[in-house]
Amino acid sequence: MKFETSTEELLIAVATAGRFTEKRANLPVLSSILLSVEGHRLLLRATNLECGVEIYIPAKVSAEGVVAIPSSVLLGFLTNTRSKSVSVSLVGEVLVVETERASASIKTIPHDDFPILPRVSAERSFTVKSADLSRAIRSVAYCASTSAIKPELQSVLLYSEEGKCTAVATDSFRLAEKTVPLRGGGSVPQLLVPARNAAELMRIVDTVKGDVEIYYNDNQLSTQVEAVYYTSRLIDGTFPNYRQIIPKTFSTEAVVLREDVATALKSLSIFADKFSQVSLSIEPTKKAVLLSSRNPDIGEQTSNMRATVVGDGLTVSFNGRYLADSLQAISGESVRLSSNGAGKPMLIKDAADESFFYLAMPMNR
Amino acid sequence: MTTTKELWENALVELALTISKPNFNTWFKETHIVRVEDGTVYLGVPSQFARDWLSTKFHKDILRSLRGLSDSVRSIEYIISRGQKKLDETRHVPAAPSELPLESVHAKTNLNPRFTFNTFVVGPFNELAHAAAQAVIRRPGSAYNPLLIYGPTGLGKTHLAQAIGNHFRINAPDRKIQYVTSEKFSMDYVSSLQTNKVQSFKEKYRQYELLIMDDVQFLARMEKTKEEFFHLFNFLHDGNKQLVFTSDQHPNVIQNIEDRLQSRFSAGMIVSVTPPDHDSRLAIVRSKALAHGMILADDVLEYLATTVEGNVRELEGALNLLLIQFELRGGPVTINDAKNVLRGASGSTKKSISVQEVVKIITSFYGIEEGSIYEKTRRKEVVRPRQVIMFLLREDFKISFPTIGEKLGGRDHTTVIHSCEKIKSDLTTDSILSQELHQIRLMLK
Repeated sequence: MKFETSTEELLIAVATAGRFTEKRANLPVLSSILLSVEGHRLLLRATNLECGVEIYIPAKVSAEGVVAIPSSVLLGFLTNTRSKSVSVSLVGEVLVVETERASASIKTIPHDDFPILPRVSAERSFTVKSADLSRAIRSVAYCASTSAIKPELQSVLLYSEEGKCTAVATDSFRLAEKTVPLRGGGSVPQLLVPARNAAELMRIVDTVKGDVEIYYNDNQLSTQVEAVYYTSRLIDGTFPNYRQIIPKTFSTEAVVLREDVATALKSLSIFADKFSQVSLSIEPTKKAVLLSSRNPDIGEQTSNMRATVVGDGLTVSFNGRYLADSLQAISGESVRLSSNGAGKPMLIKDAADESFFYLAMPMNR
Repeated sequence: MTTTKELWENALVELALTISKPNFNTWFKETHIVRVEDGTVYLGVPSQFARDWLSTKFHKDILRSLRGLSDSVRSIEYIISRGQKKLDETRHVPAAPSELPLESVHAKTNLNPRFTFNTFVVGPFNELAHAAAQAVIRRPGSAYNPLLIYGPTGLGKTHLAQAIGNHFRINAPDRKIQYVTSEKFSMDYVSSLQTNKVQSFKEKYRQYELLIMDDVQFLARMEKTKEEFFHLFNFLHDGNKQLVFTSDQHPNVIQNIEDRLQSRFSAGMIVSVTPPDHDSRLAIVRSKALAHGMILADDVLEYLATTVEGNVRELEGALNLLLIQFELRGGPVTINDAKNVLRGASGSTKKSISVQEVVKIITSFYGIEEGSIYEKTRRKEVVRPRQVIMFLLREDFKISFPTIGEKLGGRDHTTVIHSCEKIKSDLTTDSILSQELHQIRLMLK
């Protein structure tokens, strides 16, 4: 095989595909990317058997062919070249990559075992704005559990009802939900996308403007974003019925400036103990929210924030990191904290935006 | 007719031979036959990745091996299903008991009902402590107050202390008894400080008529708790309330403990428990075995008592191992079973170690020259260590008698046999020798 293509395009494609390789796989070929040249384009394919990607880039083809090489090697070489175009040819079992000034020979890997990517028929699909989908996943994905015991909690739940697409994730200590509009309405059943794969989906849809169409069946989800085909396994499981634990009425509500809370939590983290415990008090009489953390070995800190408070006073302890996490998905100026008393979960919302909420469970002591 | 499960297992065995190992592990993991209908095998695979790849790449191989095993197979369908494994798992898990079947700790007094005088074996090593405990029971608050039992770990200090508590709990239920470890006491105190409830903490502990505190040596390190303990001690002691303590050291040698506490401990009775001698170990094993409803042959008991040295807890552990063996097989436990079971458990000196090293360690232990072991000398200070070496090489490392003789300066195997017999018989009477052996075994580990 022999072709010539733009360095920049190849670099971006290799970097994207490289994220889908699996370094510790049983099958050594999975740590590589597959380059295959057909017609006048180059196809890059990578998969870790959880999710996979195929990227087409235009190329000037002199001879067709297929080869598998370690993505990190090619990526390392391309990152450090300044040449506009790159020409690639296969000599025996070595891939020769040439730029204006440099030439590299990369050992290839037998590609017979490189798997094909599952295709999902276009029968069932939904459409969202790419920016919306990316925002929805970004707002919740960090909440997904990292433990493999419950795969359904390791995932981001996507579903839609009444023209709204909802993304949810929880690790049973906190829960985030973001709702974005769905193009063309309709409804989508519950799709459980592994959180790692969802993050990759987010990065891929981030590269385009406009709408993306997501295809799905019972086991697989995929999308075609310009020249990139993405597919991910869906988890076969049932997401907990989280709606029933979201409180509807509250005994205490406070509104504070987002910036205040964010800075306070940042500096409180210095004094937090190993459980990052932060105690939060809402004081109606002082019209204030107090955040404090204490580590017997270091010291303690209290931060005082002005707030508008409705309802009773309250003191609850939280994991400070969980509180801080909630703010990254909130872009508005002020944050609404609502609770039903000590020992009850706290609902955190953008005061001006109903599309996102975050539920944090308190710590025991 | 083979079941579908067997069919697939056999097919997998064949496939593993034709397909490379990484490929096999990647694609055939978590596959199973869901059902077989009209010659079509429905193969369950974990994901669409696997389905697509198996059907394009390995379809022929799978079909060939399935046909080879069963003529009726005509075709294969791949379906995505993870159900099988999950179902199997749930089926085999027995319903979890709502509560662990442990004897519960008595909530009010914190005493474990298992520790009573009935299950306490009295021997020369602990009879003083036992007698003191009995005296405390007869005349609480006045006979020996406080009673402090000290000794190394695993010799029944806690058992004895709790037995006193349990006796009162049963015979005088209206007495206020509390068993607490020094660590729990300290935690209680610290949390009472944090929540500003020191007063209720004081009241809680000052109401008790019998306070048993375990492992008081830990108090030495906790300054504030120590002070609080001192006041509590004075209050209870002045009110003639009985106090029972356990410690792993004599109070006079506990570091960082203040004189005033030391002298208060000494005011009552300080008794020690020491490691049991051979006969007591025998008695303990017999009584514990009986408690489990297991009757052991004399040679097994003897073996347990000699090989499992050190504390009673280890002895109990070894016995439990035997008990499992006994339950599994149902038959009587023979001496060979005991040896097999306990080989790993007791004094596990099974590390590979050369004869030279053993000789080196033992000669340095006895402070004699290494070379003298190999010589033909019969000086007394050399003969004993040489016998010990032979005994250990035989008992712990299972080296044959002739080999031992040859390695140790070309001695006859009968000499070696005699030496081993000699040490074995001395062990039953000579407690110093058994301690020496224990230490040597520790060094050999």
